[in-house]
Amino acid sequence: MPLKNKEVSLLLEKSRLLSQSSMNDFIRNLSASYEVYAPIKKGKQIVFEKVENPGEIVWDYETTQISPKKFLHKPFEKLFSFEDGGKIISENEEIAEKKQILLGLHPCDVRAVEILDKVFSKRYEDPYYLKRRKNSIIIALTCNDAHETCYCTSFSTGPRIDRGYDILITPLVDNFLVEIGSPRGEEILNQYGEALSTDSSILMEYHRLKNAKLEVIENKIKNKMNTENLPELLEQNVNHPLWDNLKEECLACGSCTIVCPTCYCFTIVDKVDLTLKSGQRQRVWDSCMLLEFAEVALGVNFRRERAARIKQRIYHKLYSFEHQFYIRGCVGCGRCIRYCIKKIDPREIIAEIRREPIEQQS
Amino acid sequence: MSSSHNPYMPSLVKIIDIIEETGDTKTIKLIFVDEQTQKNFSFKPGQFNMLTVLGVGEAPLSISSAPGEGDYFSHTIRRVGNVTGAITRLNVGDTFGARGPYGNGWPLDKIKGRDILIVAGGIGLAPLRSVIYYIKENRDNYGKVEILYGARTPKDCLYRREFDEWREIPNTRLLLTVDNVPEGTKWEHDVGVVTLLFDKISLNPSETAVLMCGPEIMMKFAVHNLLEMGFKDKDIYLSMERRMNCGISKCGLCQIGPKFVCQDGPVFSYYELRNLTEKIF
Repeated sequence: MPLKNKEVSLLLEKSRLLSQSSMNDFIRNLSASYEVYAPIKKGKQIVFEKVENPGEIVWDYETTQISPKKFLHKPFEKLFSFEDGGKIISENEEIAEKKQILLGLHPCDVRAVEILDKVFSKRYEDPYYLKRRKNSIIIALTCNDAHETCYCTSFSTGPRIDRGYDILITPLVDNFLVEIGSPRGEEILNQYGEALSTDSSILMEYHRLKNAKLEVIENKIKNKMNTENLPELLEQNVNHPLWDNLKEECLACGSCTIVCPTCYCFTIVDKVDLTLKSGQRQRVWDSCMLLEFAEVALGVNFRRERAARIKQRIYHKLYSFEHQFYIRGCVGCGRCIRYCIKKIDPREIIAEIRREPIEQQS
Repeated sequence: MSSSHNPYMPSLVKIIDIIEETGDTKTIKLIFVDEQTQKNFSFKPGQFNMLTVLGVGEAPLSISSAPGEGDYFSHTIRRVGNVTGAITRLNVGDTFGARGPYGNGWPLDKIKGRDILIVAGGIGLAPLRSVIYYIKENRDNYGKVEILYGARTPKDCLYRREFDEWREIPNTRLLLTVDNVPEGTKWEHDVGVVTLLFDKISLNPSETAVLMCGPEIMMKFAVHNLLEMGFKDKDIYLSMERRMNCGISKCGLCQIGPKFVCQDGPVFSYYELRNLTEKIF
């Protein structure tokens, strides 16, 4: 559908073009005031790490193993420290000031942050996550390609994105199309970046190129998850034989939950130093796939069966999230498939249920 | 509490009294050391606190006192893990940490005017003790009350010294049973699981709300029998145990289907539970 004039002018108003060198300058300038994290090469992996030099950034990466959630909801987080006599001596202050830029997030990872925002702000506000979030600027990156495990189109969480970012970057030809998504994004772009002076016809041409690229990516995503009436489908198939079959496949290693950008469950532990008196209370990522996750005193375990744990993961993502936070818990990034040793695929789970759903008793 | 308050931070509580209940269980009476915190602390029967011993950890525990009982609150604590072990080693005057209260508590407003059947097993009597005293204080708001309590042995019965006081609450019956009676122990009540007491229930199922807490296996059989007797699933309320690390629906550990036991519960009607995507019993 062609854009209306007003939409075009709005789009162009929020768009800039940066050359390769001005993009590098922009990132270098940002690094002076912020911690900048972006996808860089480390061994054979592309990982989100602190950027020392803009040249390190891998603009055409596929997907990272660990999602950028690690900068907002840390794998290990000090809640507070305590000392002899059981006195709490300090809250975790470091998070209050540290300003960070998360650069190069693909749309699925940006939308995953939106989901985590809901988790950590509903009913009780989680001060650790929310302070970090407030101090984080998100610079999204349009995907370069789609891969076999990508199914973001099933959840409308990519490759197109219309919210959740402060700035959106799309590398095109030799330049970067930069779109502003928030007043904060506009501010840092004006302050730290130098856009090429371009007329609107050139900007419009870059938008056309971007759109063409997105269409190619969208068309490449063939293996989707049919999400129509998904909660209802799952509600009716709690006892589907597939769950029992899956337990023979799944190794219950927890990799899927560690790499998932929306998995957030954690355990709280006290770490004491050698005096056994001082130490800190921490929270640590946990996983519903692990045996101990639902274990209480006297060895009672509410999900001893592996099938129950597999079901918990799938149901939490695709069913419970809607009840709990009015949003679906999956963004279709495909990490859980990619990093599963047995290549257990949620798309296939849903497809199999749809092929032979349990007959509903009337 | 103000919005800037960090919900993960425990406040200091002081033990003002300890009552030895059984060989492994104590009731400890507590006050917040900070007077204002104590003044602001209000709770409903069936709610719980997260109790903290720094360096050991944190655990969810039901409040066993009733709101009107005094200017303190109490927890009945069975020594089963690190945190409960550490707390039960403390003495009067010692301090540790607490935060709360959390959870929905028993639906005491909703069940006003009804007869009340209380079914408890073991340490499950703790959150129901709070109800018993609440009803005593608000006796006119409820109909007949029957309390069914099962423990392992006579010595494992909690609150033994309070039983006579409970029996004296108007229109209230207390029925006791134990799994077994060691030789030489005096016991004038029933022997067997708590469901054996169900023959003695005199309440009309259609006019009764059931409040239940105990081991899940006990609740499974008790609910099954009650349904057969004509009690409705919407009238049977269960306090559920799950692993909890935060109490504020963040850590994700306590989920049953889409429910967070810490915030949506710990009290659920059996009607709610039986229709969840994660089957309980």
